[in-house]
Amino acid sequence: MSDDILIQNEASNDMTVAARDLVKRFGQLKVLDGLTICIPRGTTYCLLGPNGSGKTTFIRSIVGLIRLDGGEMEVLGRPISRVREIISRIGYMTQHKALYPDLTLQENMEFYASLYGIKGARRRARIDELLEMVDLEDHRRRLAGDLSGGMYQRLSLACTLIHDPDLLLLDEPTVGVDPRLRRTFWEYFESLTDGGATILITTHLMDEAEKCRIVGYMKAGRLEAEGSPVAIKRLAGLRPSIRLWVDDSKATADLLASSGFEVIESGDALDVFLDSFNDARTVLDLARPRDLKLVEPTLEEAFLRLSDIGRGG
Amino acid sequence: MISIFEGLDASLDRILAVALRVIRQLKRDRRTVGLITFIPIFLMVLFGYALSGDMSGICLGLVDEGGQEGLRGHIEGVDDFEILHLGSASDAEQLIEEGRLNGAIVLGPGQVVVMLDGSSPQIATSLINLVRAGLEGPMPLDLRYIYGYDLEMMDSVGPAVLGLVVFFFTFIVSAVSFLRERTQGSLEKFVASPLSRPEMVLGYLLGFSVFTVIQSVTTLVVVVFVFGVPMYGSPITALAVVLLLGAAALVMGAFFSNFAKTEFQVVQFIPLVILPQVVLTGVWWPLQSIPESIRPVSSILPLTYSSEALRAVMLKGASLCEIMPDIFALSLFFAIGFLAATLALKREVG
Ligand SMILES: Nc1ncnc2c1ncn2[C@@H]1O[C@H](COP(=O)(O)OP(=O)(O)OP(=O)(O)O)[C@@H](O)[C@H]1O
Ligand SMILES: [Mg+2]
Repeated sequence: MSDDILIQNEASNDMTVAARDLVKRFGQLKVLDGLTICIPRGTTYCLLGPNGSGKTTFIRSIVGLIRLDGGEMEVLGRPISRVREIISRIGYMTQHKALYPDLTLQENMEFYASLYGIKGARRRARIDELLEMVDLEDHRRRLAGDLSGGMYQRLSLACTLIHDPDLLLLDEPTVGVDPRLRRTFWEYFESLTDGGATILITTHLMDEAEKCRIVGYMKAGRLEAEGSPVAIKRLAGLRPSIRLWVDDSKATADLLASSGFEVIESGDALDVFLDSFNDARTVLDLARPRDLKLVEPTLEEAFLRLSDIGRGG
Repeated sequence: MISIFEGLDASLDRILAVALRVIRQLKRDRRTVGLITFIPIFLMVLFGYALSGDMSGICLGLVDEGGQEGLRGHIEGVDDFEILHLGSASDAEQLIEEGRLNGAIVLGPGQVVVMLDGSSPQIATSLINLVRAGLEGPMPLDLRYIYGYDLEMMDSVGPAVLGLVVFFFTFIVSAVSFLRERTQGSLEKFVASPLSRPEMVLGYLLGFSVFTVIQSVTTLVVVVFVFGVPMYGSPITALAVVLLLGAAALVMGAFFSNFAKTEFQVVQFIPLVILPQVVLTGVWWPLQSIPESIRPVSSILPLTYSSEALRAVMLKGASLCEIMPDIFALSLFFAIGFLAATLALKREVG
């Protein structure tokens, strides 16, 4: 499935990241295999994909941590060879631990702030603000190495945001973070994109992916599907359905089938697949059910479907 | 803003940020701080007592330029002297001056030169007698008096051990620190930040130098005040030599850390990098006594130059100008190490 639509439809200066045919090999292993992907400015773009599909490798290549073996990429309007010029506008939260365990929370944040030239009162204010956002003010004098997994993750996010970057690369930022703070994070992310920032995020949590404007599904180093969460489900061949409980299952099923609907009997109910929810009215008129339930497929199903394609034949 | 290679502007702010961070980390690591400051004192005390007193026995240099096999056999057959085979008469002269030899005999076709330490007449007399007894037939003896000073073993070893201690600890702590940057992932994070690699190495240098100064000052104080090793030259010059050596050790440690995957593997560098310097750089015995064939190895070890410079400053009162060749050599080690460390950091990334 092609992603070229996006490239053609939107002018490239609206793209925070525009990559074409990226190739990266580690020895025999082709980790990026013709990856073409565009991330429009001001959006939250979620990269999904099985473990080892190359998500982290792609993110690392954006900040110049990986020397690509092929392809072209522009980041914030610069070719990748000149990414150092705009590196201070990028915030990169690594998938694995990257802070100093023998420094306190405050010291870690001070260090990263000074790397970006943030000093004095401004630095103090920024640290206070972010520690409040990640709910760690009470722990600022503790050593980062003593934090719990989720707390560490929160600190790591705070350090990544310290310089208010235009492009945020978040590699599984919410691993181990409790649901309440995850909600806080996502609200904060929304406020950032409202302010014009672009977020590229990877996650294995489908409820988070549902919140993103664009979802890209990566597999074996290429982009297999891309679009809004709903579009991804359609691309995976998933349709909404309506589950009906009727008095005469057999007759109703025949009636619906003759009107062109795909019907499956499941126990004492009928599942009728819809092209869109507009069809629901027609179905209800025909079937006159005792009870009903609308079923929207989940991204998780889509993920499973997409990852099964090509497996075993 | 100073411009450094890669066309990047090095920012003093960022260098200072790294330095401050390194100081905070080291300061928190009480044990390492203790190790850095007290182990040198402990070692000095240990060496000091083990090596106290005058040099045991009489040390005689022998330079053989051929043609005197009989006399040579006679001298080597005598048990009262330690004999050190040297390459040239000037080596011998220097060692007598430094007080590390009590005398030397230069054997050449048709002539025998006896160099004597004028400060100990008894030894001089017995030396002359020794040579006379071994002469086959009449031969003019060329007697030269050289005034060395009465040196204790610690005087010669102290300055060199000072360098050894600083090199050892800086190298190990630096190698482990840079290794940790990689293994704990922080390298990944700041390669993606405005911090450049030269800035990072410079930041480390600055941060570490605080500890190197503390370490060298405590060691120097113990060497000079507890063991009475002379300090004829300027302590500032001595400190400068030690700092330069520490800087070289730091960048070498940073470079070597790329070849280790764990801290355990860093420990394995000790026999590779540290031990040769203990043996081959004239810490314990004069460089001149090391066989010619492995001398080139000595000349590529930084401690060779720091020992020479520190001895010259402390024992002979040499000024900064007089030890320029050594300073130059140490600077070269630093420059090469700095380049290697920075480039290796770069290559690390996939
Ligand atoms: N430096 C490296 N050297 C060798 N192989 C590597 C390197 N970095 C990544 N790989 C390999 O590249 C493949 C893709 O890794 P990557 O980390 O990009 O996957 P991912 O999509 O982020 O997976 P996950 O969901 O588990 O985070 C994996 O097979 C991995 O082993
Ligand atoms: Mg990953």
